[in-house]
Amino acid sequence: MTDSSIKALQRKRMLQNILSPVIAILGGLMLGALIMLAVGTSPLYAYRQMFAKSFLDPYYLAQTLVRSAPIMLSGVGAAVAWRAGYINLGMQGQMCVGGLCATLVALFFPVKTPLTTILCFAVGMAAGALWALIPTFLDYKFNASLIITTLMLNYATNYITDYFVAYPIKDTAGDGLAFQSPQIDAAMRFFRFSKKNAMNIGVFVAIAAVVLIYFILKKTRFGYESKITGLNRKFASYGGIKSAKMMFTTMGLSGAICGFAACIEIFGARYRYVNAMFTTTGYAWTGLMAMLIAKYNPLLTLVYSIFLAGLSIGGQALQRAVGLPMQISDIIQCCITLFVSVKIVLDFTVFSKGGKA
Amino acid sequence: MNSLFVAAVINSTLRYSTPILFAALGSLYCTRCNVFNVALEGQMLAASFAAIVTNYFTHSVILSTMAAIGAGMLVALLVAVFQISLGVRDMVVGTSINLLVQSATSFLMQVIFGTRGTIQGNGMVALPKLSLKIGSLSFVNRMFESLSILDYLGYITAILVFLYLFKTVRGFHLRSVGISFEAAKSLGVKSQRIQFNSILVSGALCALGGLAQCMGMVTVFVENMTAGRGFIAMGAASMAQAHPIAAIFSSLFFGATISMSKTLQTYINSYFTESFPYFCTVIAMTIFGIIMIIRNKRKGIQKSA
Repeated sequence: MTDSSIKALQRKRMLQNILSPVIAILGGLMLGALIMLAVGTSPLYAYRQMFAKSFLDPYYLAQTLVRSAPIMLSGVGAAVAWRAGYINLGMQGQMCVGGLCATLVALFFPVKTPLTTILCFAVGMAAGALWALIPTFLDYKFNASLIITTLMLNYATNYITDYFVAYPIKDTAGDGLAFQSPQIDAAMRFFRFSKKNAMNIGVFVAIAAVVLIYFILKKTRFGYESKITGLNRKFASYGGIKSAKMMFTTMGLSGAICGFAACIEIFGARYRYVNAMFTTTGYAWTGLMAMLIAKYNPLLTLVYSIFLAGLSIGGQALQRAVGLPMQISDIIQCCITLFVSVKIVLDFTVFSKGGKA
Repeated sequence: MNSLFVAAVINSTLRYSTPILFAALGSLYCTRCNVFNVALEGQMLAASFAAIVTNYFTHSVILSTMAAIGAGMLVALLVAVFQISLGVRDMVVGTSINLLVQSATSFLMQVIFGTRGTIQGNGMVALPKLSLKIGSLSFVNRMFESLSILDYLGYITAILVFLYLFKTVRGFHLRSVGISFEAAKSLGVKSQRIQFNSILVSGALCALGGLAQCMGMVTVFVENMTAGRGFIAMGAASMAQAHPIAAIFSSLFFGATISMSKTLQTYINSYFTESFPYFCTVIAMTIFGIIMIIRNKRKGIQKSA
C-alpha cells in the first residue's frame, strides 16, 4: 500500500465518521416528519417549535443543558464499560442507588456545609459502583449473564428506592401527596446563576467530568488497555492485561459515574429524591443512545447528549403547544441510533482515481 | 395452609409462566442458530399493543391474535434486517428496538385513544378459557380453573419446537448454523437465511407470549406492561441451556416467582414484593451458574478463561 493511498483511506474514514451521524440524524428527523404528517401536524412548524423551545430561547436552553448533564454522564458511564466489552444495562439502577444514598447522607449527616456535598457525592459514587460490582462479581465468579442481571437490578432497585420515599423518608411537609424526600439543606445545593431558570454549576461539573474521562480513556494506560480488552479479549490477556481486573475496574467506574450523574441531578436540579425520578425521565436510556451514536467517544457523547436532551425538551414543549405526544422525540432518537449503527459504504472517487492499491 | 390456596397459587403460576415460556422459546430458537436476540421485550410489547387495539375495535379474538402475530413479526423483521442483513451489533439493535417499541406504543396510544397509561374497554373479549375438570377433585379442578387456551398451547409449542429442532432435517440445519456458520454454509446450508428466519419465528413466538399477557388473565394494555419479562425469558432460556423442554421448567420457576410476589402482597409491602421476581432472576442465574461449575468440575472440564 502506498503512502498516498493510506492517506486517502484515512481521509475516507474521517469523512465517514463525520458524515454517518449527520446522515443518521437527518434520516431520524425525516422519519419523525413522516410520522408527524401521518398524524396531521405540520413537520416544519413542529420542528421550528421544537428547536425554538429547546435551544434558541434562553429559558429552554437552560432546561436543555440541565437535562443533558445526567444524560451525558450516564452515557459516558455506559461507554466506559461497553467499550471494554462489558455490557452494563443497569445504569438506571445504579443512578437510583447512588442518588438515594447521597440524599440519605445529605438529609442525616449532622453538618450541613458545601463540603458535605462532596461527601454526598463520594457516597453516591461508591454506592453506584457497588451496585455495578455485584452483577460483575456474579458474572465473573458464576457466569451469571451481566446483561440480564444488570437489567433485572434496574427494576428491582427502582422499587426499593421508591419504597424509601414512600415510607421512611417521605416528605411530610405540604399536602403529603407526593412521594418524595424532604429537600436537602440550602447550603449544600449547587449554585444557580439566576432565579429564573434551573441553570447551575452542575452542568459545568458534568462537562468537566466528561472531559476528564475522555483524557483517561484516550491518554492513559488504563484507557488503552480497556479498549484493547473490548476489541479482543484473548489478545488482551495474551498481551498481559488481567481481564478480571479490567472487568471490575471498568464496571466499577461505570457504576460510579452513574452515581455521580444522579448526584448532579439531585444537588443541581431537584434538591430531593423524587419517586421514580430516574425511570420516568429516561436519563440512562437516552445516555445509552447518545453514547451509541457517538460510538463510545466521550466528547461526542457530550455533544449528542445535549442534542438529544434538546430533542426531548422540545418534544415536551410541542406536546403542550399542539398536543403531539412527546414520545415522538424518543422515536426519533431510537431511529438515529439504528441508522448510525449501519455501516454506510461511502465509495468516493478518491479511491477509484488512484487505482486500487 | 389451605390446600385450595396452594392450588390457587399453582393456578396463577401456570398463568404467569405462559408469556415467559413463549418468549423463552423464541429466545432459544435464535440461540440455536447463534443469533442473540435482545429485542424479545419489544416483540412482546408490540404484539400486546396490536392485540388490544384490534380487540378494542373489532371484539374478535381471531383478528386480535392475527394482529399480535403480525406486529411481533414486524418488529422481528426490523431486528432481522438490522442485525442479519446490515450486520449491526445485537446489543445495539436490541436495546434501540426495545426503546423504540416502548415509545412507539405510548405514542400511538395517545394518538388513537388520547390517554396515557392503560387501554381498557367494555366488550373487549378475552382468550377462550378451558377449565380442565377431573371428576370431583377440587384441588385439581382449582389448579386448572379457567386457564386460557394459550396456557395449554405453550407446552404443546415447546414440544413442537423440540421436535422441529431435534427430529427434523431442517432443525438439524438450523442447529448446524449455530455450531459453525461457515461449515454449515460450505455444505450448502443457507446460513444467513436461516438466521434471518429464526428471528421472524421468535417474533411470532414472542407475539403469542405478548398475547397471553394482555388477553389471558385480564384484557388490558398497560404502558410498558412487559416490564422486563423479555429479559426474564432470556434468563429462562439460558438456564434451560436452549433446550425447549427444559425451558418449560425454568419458565414455570419464573412464573412461580411472579405468582409468589402477587400472593405475598397481602403480607409484605408491595414495593418489596414487586421487586421479588427480579431479585429471584438474579439469584437463580447465580445458583444455576454455581451448579454448572460444580458439574463441569465433576466431569473434569476446566472453566475456560
